[in-house]
Amino acid sequence: MKKILIVEDHLDIRKLLKMTLEFDDFEIHEASTGDAGWVLAQELQPDIVLLDVMMPGTLTGLDVCRRIKDDPRMRHTKVIMLTARVQASDREMGMAAGADDYLMKPFSTLQVLEKIYRMEATL
Amino acid sequence: MIGGAPSVQPMPVQGEARCFDEAAARQMELFVQDFGRMYRERNDALREVTRAHHGALLQLSAAAELKDDDTGVHIVRIGYLAEALALALDQSAGYARMLRKAAPMHDIGKIGIPDHVLKKPGPLTPDERQLMNRHAAMGAEILGRSHIPVFRMAAEVAVTHHERWDGSGYPAGLSGDAIPLSGRITAVVDFFDALTMDRVYRRAFSVETALEMLAAEKGRAFDPAVVDAFLANAADIDALRCRVTLERPSFDDLIDSP
Repeated sequence: MKKILIVEDHLDIRKLLKMTLEFDDFEIHEASTGDAGWVLAQELQPDIVLLDVMMPGTLTGLDVCRRIKDDPRMRHTKVIMLTARVQASDREMGMAAGADDYLMKPFSTLQVLEKIYRMEATL
Repeated sequence: MIGGAPSVQPMPVQGEARCFDEAAARQMELFVQDFGRMYRERNDALREVTRAHHGALLQLSAAAELKDDDTGVHIVRIGYLAEALALALDQSAGYARMLRKAAPMHDIGKIGIPDHVLKKPGPLTPDERQLMNRHAAMGAEILGRSHIPVFRMAAEVAVTHHERWDGSGYPAGLSGDAIPLSGRITAVVDFFDALTMDRVYRRAFSVETALEMLAAEKGRAFDPAVVDAFLANAADIDALRCRVTLERPSFDDLIDSP
């Protein structure tokens, strides 16, 4: 079963994401700040991380993404950035930080699953 | 906040944003839950339809084989051998699994060939040969109406399993890489399996002879890379062939094996 970590500060969004992933069989973990997300990522070495860009705390989503991508134990880990902004700059920064894909909020439930399935196929 | 948060609701931790109205959030969760239920039900229904369709087409393929001169285990073997050969060629497990399910239907078009041609003991006249060769395209017609990936692959196998690497095959006269890999693999396992089984008009060839005959067709009928992979794994593939013959996996096994 694939391990997925959701790092998102907004409780309701996190819950909706979790419920969406529960449509299928995934092992789901959650964190509500970048700092907590980074700690959990090191511990779990998840297959896929859904990562919010803007979060309170010392680490932003981009920081966490860079750290995951720099960590040799997480070479298999795919990162999907969650971005609320429509600007292309957000996406570019995410890609520069090594993100594998991104999702724009508000997200489509089916799109979330399709992206995950596509990533799963490459794992 | 009316009624407070339900006990299952995780409490927001400090600094955590929570902007939805409580009642709206709960309503939204119910929407998502219902949507999830429908999503799963829809996937289950699709799987069920695929399964039923697959079962029926395998039965039809078996009927076509029985019209020929086989007991039905040949087509199941073709599936497992094609899967093993695909893996030996470094294809993904998903591709190999799909080929296992698709390849057994390669001769389904024989259902449309009149018995006096299909069962004719002697050599066929050019007209009869032409009629016989139509089974490839007929199979693709039967299988190709579906949009489900495994049947698309099965149709591809049906229409290309008599193409030859050197371009002298039928129906399209494709050569080399223009022949899909699924067809190139199935052609090889079909050849080997047909040689190593008893037919009404001859005894089975020994494995050694069959391998020699296979090697002789390398670069002629068959893709050299596929033949090489087969020969390099001949012992394992032959062991698998014997195991399938012995254990006689059902169509359900063929569809359900991981």
